[in-house]
Amino acid sequence: MSDKVVRLSRRRFLKTAAVSGALVAAPGLIPAKALGKDGAVAPSERILLGGIGIGGRGSYDLGCFLDEPEVHFTSICDVRADRREGVKNRIDGKYGNKDCRMYRDFREFLDKSGVDAVLITTGSNWHCLLSIYSAKAGKDVYCEKPCTKNIAESIALADVFRRTGRVFQGGMQRRSLPHMEFAIELAHGGKLGKLTTVYAHPGGLGTHTSGWGQGEADPPKEQIDWDLFLGSAAWRPFNRGLLSSEFEKGGGMVGGGNLEWGSHCVDLCQWAAEADDTAPVEYFPIEKDGTASARYANGVKLVLRNNGWLPLGSCPVRFEGEKGWVETGDTAKLMLSSPALLSGKKVQEIGGYPANFHIRNFLDCVKSRGMPRVNYQVAAQSHIACHASNIAIFLNRALKYDPVKNEFIGDDEANRLRSEAIRDPWHV
Amino acid sequence: MFTFQTRVILSAMIACSTLAVAVGAATAAEDKVADKKKETILIAVLKSEAQSSDKAMACKQLALCGTKDAVPALMSLLADEHLAGWARIALEVIPDPAVDEALRSSLGKLNGRCLIGVINSIGFRHDFKAVEALAAKLRDNDVEVASVAAVALGHIGGDAAAMTLEGALSGTAPAVRSAVAEGCVLCAEKQLAAGKSDEAARICDLVRKTDLPKQRIREATRGAILARKADGVPLLVELLQSADKQMFNLALTVARELPGKGTTDALVSELSKASPERQSLLILAIADHGDATAMPAVLQAAKTGPDVVKVTVIKVLKRLGNVSSVPLLLEAAADENASLAATATEALASLRGKEVDAAIADRLPKADGKVRKVLLQLVGDRVLTAAIPDVIKAASDADLQVRLQALTALGYAVEFKDIAVLIGRVAATPENAEEAQAAEKALKVACQRMSDTETCAAKLVAAMESAKVPARVNLLEALTALGGKRALEAVGAAAANSDTDIQDAGSRLLGEWMTLDAAPVLVNLAKTSSDTKFEVRAVRAYIRLLRQFPMRGEDRAEMCRTAMAISKRDAEKKLVLEVLQRYPSLDALQLACATAKIASLKDDASKTALAIAKKIRGKSPQVQELLAQLNQELVKIEILKAEYGAGATMKDVTDTLRKGARGFPLIVLEAATYNDAFGGDPAPGTIKELKIEYRMNGKSGKARFTENAEILLPKP
Repeated sequence: MSDKVVRLSRRRFLKTAAVSGALVAAPGLIPAKALGKDGAVAPSERILLGGIGIGGRGSYDLGCFLDEPEVHFTSICDVRADRREGVKNRIDGKYGNKDCRMYRDFREFLDKSGVDAVLITTGSNWHCLLSIYSAKAGKDVYCEKPCTKNIAESIALADVFRRTGRVFQGGMQRRSLPHMEFAIELAHGGKLGKLTTVYAHPGGLGTHTSGWGQGEADPPKEQIDWDLFLGSAAWRPFNRGLLSSEFEKGGGMVGGGNLEWGSHCVDLCQWAAEADDTAPVEYFPIEKDGTASARYANGVKLVLRNNGWLPLGSCPVRFEGEKGWVETGDTAKLMLSSPALLSGKKVQEIGGYPANFHIRNFLDCVKSRGMPRVNYQVAAQSHIACHASNIAIFLNRALKYDPVKNEFIGDDEANRLRSEAIRDPWHV
Repeated sequence: MFTFQTRVILSAMIACSTLAVAVGAATAAEDKVADKKKETILIAVLKSEAQSSDKAMACKQLALCGTKDAVPALMSLLADEHLAGWARIALEVIPDPAVDEALRSSLGKLNGRCLIGVINSIGFRHDFKAVEALAAKLRDNDVEVASVAAVALGHIGGDAAAMTLEGALSGTAPAVRSAVAEGCVLCAEKQLAAGKSDEAARICDLVRKTDLPKQRIREATRGAILARKADGVPLLVELLQSADKQMFNLALTVARELPGKGTTDALVSELSKASPERQSLLILAIADHGDATAMPAVLQAAKTGPDVVKVTVIKVLKRLGNVSSVPLLLEAAADENASLAATATEALASLRGKEVDAAIADRLPKADGKVRKVLLQLVGDRVLTAAIPDVIKAASDADLQVRLQALTALGYAVEFKDIAVLIGRVAATPENAEEAQAAEKALKVACQRMSDTETCAAKLVAAMESAKVPARVNLLEALTALGGKRALEAVGAAAANSDTDIQDAGSRLLGEWMTLDAAPVLVNLAKTSSDTKFEVRAVRAYIRLLRQFPMRGEDRAEMCRTAMAISKRDAEKKLVLEVLQRYPSLDALQLACATAKIASLKDDASKTALAIAKKIRGKSPQVQELLAQLNQELVKIEILKAEYGAGATMKDVTDTLRKGARGFPLIVLEAATYNDAFGGDPAPGTIKELKIEYRMNGKSGKARFTENAEILLPKP
C-alpha cells in the first residue's frame, strides 16, 4: 500500500470532513468513469493549478497538491528566475515533458496561463494582494499564511472573495488535522465544561518592521524583479537581506508579532471559542509574565504565550474549561485533564499530519463551491484577531474593539494602525 | 551629518513615545503637547535635505501623530516616485478633511503611478467630493489611471458614483470596461446595504448584459440574484440549468448565500433533472443551504441514483438527517460496498436526537446478520445505555463476530453497575485469543470512563485475587487506565511482587502512569528494588513525569534534584540534564553546575549549564558565579573592537562588550535587546548586526551576530 493511500484513507479524515468538502471528488469517491484505464483523471475532471512564489514552504504545499489525482500543475510565476526554473524542472520531471510555463509578472500569469486555481506561497507581503488579484481574475486560491498584513487587508480579502464567488483556503492546515479537530470537539461538546481560556503559541510577540535597508546595486530585472517583489510595501532600495518570506510580515506599521504561529494557533483558538465570525473585543499588551491576551464577547479569554507549553510539538494550543483541559501540538499527541476525555480512543488512533487533508478539502470545495475549512471569512477573522493583538502590543496599552464595525473604540492611534497605504500601482 | 542627527532624533522620539505609553503617567493634555512637538520635528525632517530613508521613517511616524499641519509637507512628496507611497501611508490615516482636499487638488498635477497612488488613497478614504474629479479620470489616456479611478469610484459608492460608472460602462475603452464593471458592482453592493435593493439589481443587470470578461459577468449575476432576494430565484434557476459549467458553479455558490424556501425548491426541482455529477453537487448545496424540507427529495435521489449520488446523500444525511433517515442509512451500512457501508455507519453515529437513539435501540433485539453488527457498533458510538442488556446478551452469542462487536460496544457504553460483566470476562480469560483481546480492550476503555474510580478499583483488585497471572496482568492494565489512589496502590504493590511477570507488569505500568502522584511510588521503588532492571525503569519513569507533566518551577527543580539523587548511572543523569535544559531556570543552572563536578558528566553538564544560561539570559552575578564554577571554559577574552548597526551606520560598542566579557565565550548583555544594551537604535527600521573582533587566549577571531542573537564567541 502506498504512503499516499495510507494517508488519505484515514477513517478520521473521512469522518470529519465538512459536507461540501467531502465531495465525490475525494480520491476513493471519484466516479469510475472519470478515471482512465491507468487510474488517471479524465481531462474534464482535472483542476489546472498554477503557483506563484513557490519557495521552501511552497514546495511542501506543491508536493501535497501533486499527490492529488485530479491536480495538473501547468504554470509557475515568480519574480526570481532561480525559483521559476526550479519549479519548472520539478514539474517537467514529474510529467516527463517541457510544458510547465514560466512567468515573471503575475498579471501575465493570471491573464494567459488558463489555470483554475492558484497556489500562493510568496512572502507574506504579497499574500493578500495576489489572492485578491487572482479572485478578480476568476481563480480559486490556496494561500499560505499569514494571509494579510493588517486589518484593512483582512476585510478586503473577505469582501473580494465574497463578491467574486471564488473559493479561498488559507494555509492554516491545522484546521484539517484530526488531533486538532478532536481537541476542538472537546471544547465544543461540553466535555471540558464551559470554556474559559484558550491558549495560543504565537511564535514570538516582537513587533519588528522591515524599514529601509542599505541600498545595494539593483539586480537584472529578469533575475530578481525588485519592484514586483516590493508589491504593496512602500518603496525602498534593493537589499538582498530583505528577499525573505519574513519581509513585511504583519505589515510595515506594526510588524510580524504574533503572525508567525499566531495565524495558526489563534485561528484554532477562534474555532475553539466558536468565534469564527468575529474577533475578540478586548486586547491586552504583554504582561510581566511575557503573555499577551484578549477577551471574546462570550467571555472566553485568549492567551498568547511563548512559554509554559507541554512538550507536544510546534504550534501548540490549549483549551481550558470549568471541568477540564486539553493541550496538543504538531506531534499529534494530546494531553488531557482526564483520560476519560478520550472516550476510549487511543491518542494514536486519532491521527495527525499530513497537510494533504487541508489541500484535499480545498480541491473538494473547488468542485462543490462550498466553503473550505479556512475560508475567506474564517481567515479574515483570525487574522484580524492577530493584528489587533499586535497593535495592543505595539502601543503597549489595552484596547477595545468593535468586531462589527471593525474599529477600535475611542483610540485614534490604534485605528490608524488598522491599515497601510498600498503602493502604486496596486489596489484592492 | 544631518542624517545621523535625524536618526538620533527619530530614535529618541520613538523611545520617548513608547516610554510615555508604558508609564501611563502623562495626561491627555500632556500627550497632545508631546505629539505636537513630535509632529513639528517630523515635519521639519520632511522639509529638510534629509535622506530619503529618514523622510520615509518620518512619514511612518506621522501616520501615528500627524494632523492637518503635516499635510502640506506630506503632499510635497507625492510626486517623488520613491517617497509617494510613504507619504500616503500617513495621509490615508490622518482623520482630517484637509487631507481629502489636498489629495483632490493633486489629481490635476500628477500622472502615472504617482497619480494612481493618490486615486487609490481617495478611494480608500471614501471621499464623496472627489466623484467629479475621478469621473474625469475615467477618460484618461493611461488605461491604468482610468481603471483605478473606476474602482475608486466603486469604493466611494453612492448615487453620483454609480451614475458616473453606469454611464462609462458603454463609453469607455474595452481595457477599462472591466474595472468600470467592478466599480459598478461595488456601488451596487453599497446600494443594497443602504436598502436600495431595486437600484442594486438594476445596476447589476446592466453590467451582466454588457460585453465583459466572464468573471465580471459572474459577479454582476451574483449581485443581481442576491439583490432581488426571493425574487432572484428565477435567475438562479437559469444558472442551475446553464450548460456553462462556470455559471452552474456560480449557482451553487449563490444558492448557499440566498436564504429561503424558494432556493430550496429550485435546488430540489433541478435535482431530478440533472446528471449524476450535477446531482451530487446539488445535494451538497442543499445540505449547506440547510433546509430540512429538502430531505424527502434527497432521500429519493439516494434510492434511485447511482452509487456516487448515494454516497453524497449519506454524507449529507450525517448533517441534515433525522430519525426518518435511519432505515436508508442502515440499509447502506449493511451494503457490500465497504466504503459506502462505512460512510453510512458514520452518518448513523452522527445523527442527532433521542428518537434516533430509540430507533437504534429498538431494532437491536430483532436484528440479525450485518445489520445487528452495525447496530451493536452504534450502541458504542452513540453510548446507548438503554441497549446494554441486549448487548450483554450479544456478548455471549454463538457468532464470534457478534461477540467481538458486543464487547467493543460494552467498552464504550457500559455503566458502572454492569462493569462486572467485563471484569468477569477478563478475569476468566476467554479461550479465543481475539475475544480475550477484545474483552481486555473493552475493560480498559470502560475504566477510562468510570467516574467512581475508587469503587471500581476495589472491584478490579478483588477480581485479581482469584485470577491467574495473565489475567491479573490484564486487570492491572485496566487499573492503570482507571487511575486513582487505590489503583496506584495496587499497581505499586504489583511492581514489588514476588512473581516476576506481575512485577514486570507493575513496573512497566507505573512508567505509563498519567498523574504525578506516581512520583513517590517510583522513588521508593528505585531505592528499594534489588533488580537493576526494575530500578532503572523506576528512575526513567520518574524522569518521564518531570519531563512531561505541568508543574510549578520549584516543584520541577526539586524533582530534578531527587531524580539526580536516585540515578545511579550516567545515562539517567544525562536524561535529567536534558530536562534541566528543557525547563531552564536558576535552579536548573545550579543543578547542572553541581552535576558538572562529576568527572564523567563534566562536559555534558557544562554544555547544559551554558545552554540554560543562554536561555534565561543570565545577566545576574549569581549566574556568572555559577558559570565560573564550571571551570572548564575559563578563557581570556579580549574585545578588540565591536560595532553595532547596519551598512555605513555603525556604532562603537566596544566598551559595552568588554564589560560583558567575563572569562567565557558566552557574553551576556545587561539588557534584553541589543538596542537597549547599546544605548539606542543606531539605524531604526533596518536590519542590524553586531561585529566583534577579539582575542581568545591570545588567538585572534572575528564574529558577526544578527540583531539580538546570543553572543557566543567561537574558538578562533
